[in-house]
Amino acid sequence: MSTEPGTGFVAIEGARYRYGAAGPAILDDVDWQIPRGEIHCLIGRSGSGKTTLLKLAAGLLLPTEGAIRIGGKGLSGPSPHAGFVFQSPTLLEWLSALDNVLLPLSLKRRPTAADRETALDQLARVGLADLAARRPGELSGGQQSRVAVARALIDNPDLLLLDEPFAALDALTREELQDDLLRLCALNGTTALFVTHDITEAVYLADKVAVMADGRLAHARRIELARPRHRDMRYAPAFAAACRELRDAMDGVSALNERPAA
Amino acid sequence: MSTRLPPLLLLVALLAGWEAWCRLGGLSPLVLPPPSAVLATLWSEIATGRLWPHLSVTAAEMALGLGIGTLVGIGTGILLAEVPTLGRLLHPYVLASQLVPKLALGPLFIIWFGFGMTPTVVITALICFFPLMENTLTGLTEIDPTRRELFRMLRASRLQTLLRLKLPAALPVIMAGLRVAVVLALVGAVVGEFIGGRIGLGASIIAAQSVMDSSLIFALFVVITALGMLLYEAVRALERRVLHRFSKG
Repeated sequence: MSTEPGTGFVAIEGARYRYGAAGPAILDDVDWQIPRGEIHCLIGRSGSGKTTLLKLAAGLLLPTEGAIRIGGKGLSGPSPHAGFVFQSPTLLEWLSALDNVLLPLSLKRRPTAADRETALDQLARVGLADLAARRPGELSGGQQSRVAVARALIDNPDLLLLDEPFAALDALTREELQDDLLRLCALNGTTALFVTHDITEAVYLADKVAVMADGRLAHARRIELARPRHRDMRYAPAFAAACRELRDAMDGVSALNERPAA
Repeated sequence: MSTRLPPLLLLVALLAGWEAWCRLGGLSPLVLPPPSAVLATLWSEIATGRLWPHLSVTAAEMALGLGIGTLVGIGTGILLAEVPTLGRLLHPYVLASQLVPKLALGPLFIIWFGFGMTPTVVITALICFFPLMENTLTGLTEIDPTRRELFRMLRASRLQTLLRLKLPAALPVIMAGLRVAVVLALVGAVVGEFIGGRIGLGASIIAAQSVMDSSLIFALFVVITALGMLLYEAVRALERRVLHRFSKG
């Protein structure tokens, strides 16, 4: 049903996840499809299960029940087709920016001159060509995040998974990185699943946004903004309407659960 | 240079005070020899060449003990960190073995290994083993979980994760263990010689004590301190090189 081509490059089917056999369900019966080349965002409050869902899609966690398929193949461990960008840049501080970007390749084989060229290209695409020799300690937070994105993309992954990667950055840098990310994904037709708690970030990036609450997908909305996205779109009425609807959905969920809005 | 001047001036003042106290206080040179006598003894030991065999034996014992203790300590630390079951099984025993006063094992080692360098090297190695094992174990088990997840995501093998992530990340902690071990190695070598040595700086102290030659004992203190500082600085230089390569900036 959901494994046929076209419907979902990433197919999450009836996924449940709990810690231990009798532990509470972190994820409860999640179904989700991401067609190839689309960018989907997951939003939700802390503890709603969005990072867990992302790790299931990466193969870092395996579902207690249900299945995760990427390109029709079931996952049984960390996916070779996926690049992951963590909440913090997670760079190795003893390696240069270039060697950090090369890491995924250098773990597979001795990097060739061509590999180094690829890594340099990748750094150039995130605007860091001149800083290739710098160590992470000599880079700003935004530059470190760019290196982390370049590292996730060096192996040309079909799927990019991002866990609030820009949350710690200032608003302007965050917007720049969002534009960079959209450009890079469009360049290679990369499919992406992006976790964030920032509604405007989700609306700006996504083809579709899902709201998570208590381990379930509570609401989903397609974002009908044209691509390529542009900064001015942030001030368009359609953008504001989408943000409003998602915000209401998040509030509605918490009202439904009689939770005080924290 | 200006940062070194005040400590140097303090040294000169202390030595002058000590000298004056010995000369004016009528203190017996047997109890406290004046620095001039200590320096004269030291010089004659150096000039006659009597010092060198002792110095080289103690230095060799220190170096061998430190080297063996470091290698075995790091190796054991890696093993206990990488095989948690083994770690849980063996760690209490490793800890217990360290609570046995190792110098008290000296007489036993003389029975096992005879007189000479071996018992002292073994004692020194045992003393150096612990800070390195403990620091390696701590360093390797306290790796940031996100980085481990990164290496899992990149499908790195266990050996790759150890060599490319865990050991470089743990290096500052391991080097701190090495610095502690250097200081302990000197204690191990000198005191080890008290028990079973015939040659060496520690053995020379015992020999000087038996003829009540306090100025020779003080001269040997100077040599031992200089040896310790030399080795400590050597390890600091190594540490700076290694950490420059493997850490921030």
